Amino acid sequence: MEKDHQPEKSSSFNKGDDDHKNSGTDNTLPVTESPECSNEKKSAAADITELEMEKSEEMKTGITEIEVIEKPEEKEKDGGELGEPTPPPEIKYTLETASEDIERFLLNLSTPKDEEVEAGLETPEFIEKYLDLVEEKISKHESPDTKVKGCQLPEDDASFLKVVDQISKLYKNLSSVFRLDSNQGPLINRIGKIQQRAMSYLEDEFRSLLEESRIVEPDQKQEVADQCPLPGQDQSAESNEESNFPGYSQEVLANLNKIAKEMISGGHESECCEVYMITRRNVIEETLNKLGFEKISIDEVQRMQWEALEREIPPWIKAFKQCANVYFPGERKLAETIFSDYPSLSDSHFSNLTRGVFIQLLNFAEAVAISKRSTEKLFKFLDMYETLRDSLSAIDSVFPEECAKELRAETTTARCRIGETAICIFCDLENSIKSDTGKTQVPGGAVHPLTRYTMNYLKYACDEYKDTLEQVFKEHAKIERADSTSRPRNYEGDSENYNDDEENHSPFSGQLIRIMDLLDSILETKSKLYRDVPLSCIFMMNNGRYMLQKIRGSAEIHQVMGDTWCRKRSSDLRNYHKNYQRETWTKLLGCLSNEGLSVNGKVVKPVLKEKFKSFNAMFDEIHKTQSSWVISDKQLQSELRVSISAVVIPAYRSFLGRFSGYLDPGRQTEKYIKFQSEDIETYIDELFDGNPSSIARRKT
Amino acid sequence: MPATDYRGSSAPLTNIGRSFLSLRRDQVHAMESPNHGSASHEVELESFQRQVADRFNDLASVPSDELLSLPWVRKLLDVFLCCQEEFRVILFNNKAQVMKPPMDRLIADFYERTVKALDVCNAIRDGIEQIKQWQKLLEIVLCALGDSNVNTNTNNNGNNNCYPRTLGEGQFRRAKKALIDLAIGMLYEKDSSQGLAHRNRSFGRNNNSGSHSKDHHHRSLGHFRSLSWSVSRSWSAARQLQAIGNNLAVPRGNEVVTTNGLAMPVYTMGSVLLFVMWALVAAIPCQDRGLQVHFYVPRQFSWAAPILSLHERIIEEFIKWRSVRGCWVIWLILCSFR
Repeated sequence: MEKDHQPEKSSSFNKGDDDHKNSGTDNTLPVTESPECSNEKKSAAADITELEMEKSEEMKTGITEIEVIEKPEEKEKDGGELGEPTPPPEIKYTLETASEDIERFLLNLSTPKDEEVEAGLETPEFIEKYLDLVEEKISKHESPDTKVKGCQLPEDDASFLKVVDQISKLYKNLSSVFRLDSNQGPLINRIGKIQQRAMSYLEDEFRSLLEESRIVEPDQKQEVADQCPLPGQDQSAESNEESNFPGYSQEVLANLNKIAKEMISGGHESECCEVYMITRRNVIEETLNKLGFEKISIDEVQRMQWEALEREIPPWIKAFKQCANVYFPGERKLAETIFSDYPSLSDSHFSNLTRGVFIQLLNFAEAVAISKRSTEKLFKFLDMYETLRDSLSAIDSVFPEECAKELRAETTTARCRIGETAICIFCDLENSIKSDTGKTQVPGGAVHPLTRYTMNYLKYACDEYKDTLEQVFKEHAKIERADSTSRPRNYEGDSENYNDDEENHSPFSGQLIRIMDLLDSILETKSKLYRDVPLSCIFMMNNGRYMLQKIRGSAEIHQVMGDTWCRKRSSDLRNYHKNYQRETWTKLLGCLSNEGLSVNGKVVKPVLKEKFKSFNAMFDEIHKTQSSWVISDKQLQSELRVSISAVVIPAYRSFLGRFSGYLDPGRQTEKYIKFQSEDIETYIDELFDGNPSSIARRKT
Repeated sequence: MPATDYRGSSAPLTNIGRSFLSLRRDQVHAMESPNHGSASHEVELESFQRQVADRFNDLASVPSDELLSLPWVRKLLDVFLCCQEEFRVILFNNKAQVMKPPMDRLIADFYERTVKALDVCNAIRDGIEQIKQWQKLLEIVLCALGDSNVNTNTNNNGNNNCYPRTLGEGQFRRAKKALIDLAIGMLYEKDSSQGLAHRNRSFGRNNNSGSHSKDHHHRSLGHFRSLSWSVSRSWSAARQLQAIGNNLAVPRGNEVVTTNGLAMPVYTMGSVLLFVMWALVAAIPCQDRGLQVHFYVPRQFSWAAPILSLHERIIEEFIKWRSVRGCWVIWLILCSFR
């Protein structure tokens, strides 16, 4: 027996024993009975005979009457049920018939019979027989042999539970009438022992049913998916799998419910609850483990590298969502099903079970929220924020009122903490922009890496998390306003600044505008690093353009920044453009002015020659330097070229038209007129390509 | 069965957590300090030292048998929260100083200690759940042995599920079964490392091959499971306490001067934190318990005497209790196999 018995063997409870049907004719005593038991029985029997002597006349007749009336009925009934010839009455005393006797006996006990109770009740002989039969039945259930024979006989479980129920009642009733030290002591003791044994058996059954009869989900999911190849049915397959949790069949649930009921009414509520709590707790834990959620202490989270910590977040999110939407509702339903007759028990079991898990999940969120901040962490933090935010309604619906209140508060606290951390990350971003004081120039006035990083970061933040960020800044920015060390201005001050020219800013758009302005002023400082004023203009145009393009390219960030900001930025860009034109091309056009060219209506030839010479040299120089400058935005590049051509070419053409005749054709013309207006156009088109090229080199 | 109320027990710990975290927020958002006269500043610092001393003198005034009791632990937590609150006020009043070195470093160190303490709090919360489990097992014992006051039944059929008038073999077996579970639970607590599953199984096997061949009372031993810890498997309370105490040193003279005396309350609070966490670990089971923490406070601090005396007494109690418990567990096991 010991060898055969393996804990992992599935419960015998819904398997039953296959010789159940024979039990009608089988009335031999259990062979495996311990000597202890039979001794007791003898002594108990002796007690009864003693007692019988003493018993009052009325009682005696009362009991015999019952027996006399019962016996023929039983015979009839059993004979009808089994469809067998009725065996002789002396042998034919089955558990069923004994049960009926006990039932009547219990009924008799429970009806008030004033004098008799006081006089001391009679315990009829059939109790001993009944107990023998019960012990036999329990032994059969306990025996590992019956577990191996996998014949399902649920009605046997039902009869077993009925017997346990009876034993509990019998024990309760008799033990409240007779003391252990009374004559009936040994009998009471025996019943107590049997009851305890039955309870213990039920406890084991309850545990193994809970532990081992869960339906394994992945296989089933696979099957369902195989059966339904239609894409539209994918979802139903998935929800099917989800609703599967905790994965007990109706039959198992019904059995669990019955066992729990029996244990509780038999006074073993604490055992039942302990088994339930520990088993379910372990199942939940195992389930979370499977999702990849690991226990990490707060201290460990603080010391983890972000790459490692980052990997823990998606499993956490999954675990949290699954708990809120699947596991906890599943647990609740399970508790309600198993403890259907005890709503307060099912409530407290569910709360105590899931509360710990929930707090553990929140702990991780809080640990992450207080970990060292950095800009790269923002998006994962926001994912967690959203998870916590979106689970609130699930908590409300699944937890009992009191518990829901507490968990909602805890969830909100964790969420606030992440929200505050997210806001701090924006402060950090501000600070990191501010502290970017590198002196290295970007060659050719191209877009600065800081601009690229900041804009892409913010664009991504807006594209993916705009609404969440708006919420975060609205809900959690209050505390930040008091913080004057990490930010120079507060929100209120800021919105006042902007109120002049635009609608009210949300706190988040205020933050974004502040970052853009900060970026702008940092770029302004960096532009001063270029000694060439036109190049610093190009640098500002490049970066400004980049910012604008990013903002216009995404509806989300555009909405946050607002039209006013974009218009203002465009006009800034036009100013840089004008500056650039003035600094480079107005100077060049100075060479083509009429000033000093004609004295008394006559063209002064040396001055003219000088003018051509300086124009050529200057244009050559401009071409040489500015073709190495960079404008990566093709549109801006062509806009600039067009606007340069529009200024330079007509002026040069007309200058050429008016004064080229004054130079001697041939050698002189060749020397002073190096460019035709078409050449100028060609060369202008070579500007801002980032390839230094020289006119002189190409001409030779 | 009483509905287990976890809120009652974890609330102080939650508060500690909150208190730690808001401390950090103050630290982050600290701004210019209100202008304090230096005299009132000194009064403030002195009163803090005195209050800490008063509170711990009060804690130390209990008789030894109340030491580490739950009411005492609750009081200990209250004392901690009060000290922490006053400490926060001091920091708040001296924000400008707090932002500057070397105070910023001292505060950052303190913050790190508090984060480590959060883990101890979590482990202690697990421990409380563990104790509750033991308590339930003891309730079963008492119920079986006839104390009808224990089982306040939710089942309101008017059943009295305890049978106070009879004490038969059945009850004894029920009580014994619960006691064995308890013994194993406590054994598990004693060395919470691996090997438990193995041990359990061998218990189960011994039972099945024992004299009660039909006896299923002990079959559940093979199934005995304890609630799992919410901290990771490798986590150790002893190591965590050591980490909290790491580099906790009396501030040097020049440090006191440059911080305008603020280094003192930081050191005081660090010591209080270490002591409170240490005492919690002594009072409540948690993973890899160990009290071998280097704990030194110079006598010149007014609070040093009560804390050091408590420290000494707790170690004594702890050792006494451990040996008693050890004997008791062994006795239980021996009894249960008779």
